[in-house]
Amino acid sequence: MSDRALRTTAFVLTILGIGIAGYLVYIHYAGIEPVCNIAHGCHKVQTSKYADLAGVPVALLGLIGYVTILGALLVRGEAARMVAALTALIGFGFSAYLTYRELFTIDAICQWCVGSAILMTGLAIVCTWRLLAHVPAAPSAAAPAALTTDGA
Amino acid sequence: MSSQNTPPSKRERREAARAERIEREQSAAASDARRRRLLQLGGLLAGAVVVVVIAIVVSTGGGKSGGGSSNITGAADTKALIGGIPQKGITLGKPDAPVTIVEFADPQCPFCKEYTLNELPTVIQKYVRTGKAKMDLRWLTFIGPDSVTGAGVLEAAGQQNKMWNAADLLYRNQGEENSGYMTDAFLTNVLKGVGADAPKAIAGAGSSYVSQQIGAAKTLSSRYAVTGTPTILVGPTGGTLKKDPESAPTAAGIGKMIDAAQGASGT
Repeated sequence: MSDRALRTTAFVLTILGIGIAGYLVYIHYAGIEPVCNIAHGCHKVQTSKYADLAGVPVALLGLIGYVTILGALLVRGEAARMVAALTALIGFGFSAYLTYRELFTIDAICQWCVGSAILMTGLAIVCTWRLLAHVPAAPSAAAPAALTTDGA
Repeated sequence: MSSQNTPPSKRERREAARAERIEREQSAAASDARRRRLLQLGGLLAGAVVVVVIAIVVSTGGGKSGGGSSNITGAADTKALIGGIPQKGITLGKPDAPVTIVEFADPQCPFCKEYTLNELPTVIQKYVRTGKAKMDLRWLTFIGPDSVTGAGVLEAAGQQNKMWNAADLLYRNQGEENSGYMTDAFLTNVLKGVGADAPKAIAGAGSSYVSQQIGAAKTLSSRYAVTGTPTILVGPTGGTLKKDPESAPTAAGIGKMIDAAQGASGT
């Protein structure tokens, strides 16, 4: 898969993630209940102690994460690829932890949180794939261009 | 034909050797670049793991101490908040207060704790202590087994007219959800902290009185479509109650509803 295709996939996943996280941040600060018509556990999850981290709503942390990934996708270069991969991996790890808490501690499932966890998992895969697919040339390489698989 | 057997010239041999060297260098460079990339990925993974572990530690431990059986704190604060206010069963305040406030809560709900510590004191001081309103506390037990245990004992404390005190002190010492912290030892210390007869309340948790109260709370919550806690209802005493639309009730919002209910009751 070309870098362009990977970047486009990551971009779509990030926009969807921003939509979900943005909605959860909005309902948090607006003090209203989330639409929860698939698995009726959103309120229970959103009002559990795991809904915030050191006083910061996890939905806001998720939104910050998605925006960071979006910014990294819009910038070209090695550092941007690494920032995107690192943020996605952190998001994936913490989403996995929160999903575990939903299933085994809170005993309720929030469809929005599960959706975000799936998107973060996809982003972790795509951003890591994109990082590995693009192997930069060594400074002393005789023919640097030949080593680059970047399709962008 | 003879040209095929001609040995390569010196120049051709030099060029072949050069091409071979370039290929070796390219191969080595590519291998080196891949190795560096894998090391970078390893570094990223390690960094991500560190950040996630820190987040998990903060999430599980962040200011959620409590639930211990021997370190109950805040009894003096509970006494200062509720002491001297008439209390009977589930009701706090003067029985003939013109406005009734109903709170639905779960003993394990962290947002109920926040509400109890940050908003409820203002409501009690401004409206309950002054006789403008009375409050009913209705227990829901949707979070888990510890909720059932806690709610049963708190309801039983109501038979000693100590439910509001016990609830307030319990929230001040709330533990981690479904961690099994609602032990007899923990509840005994909470009850003793508010001057209740602990063995009597714990024994009374399985009584028909408690079952009736829990059942009544469930019925009332269904009638008002209560989907989470804390949920607040306010209305003129004996009249129709209205549900506070805020999922995180505030003293200011409840105050407005009390003012409206006072107007409706003609006081």
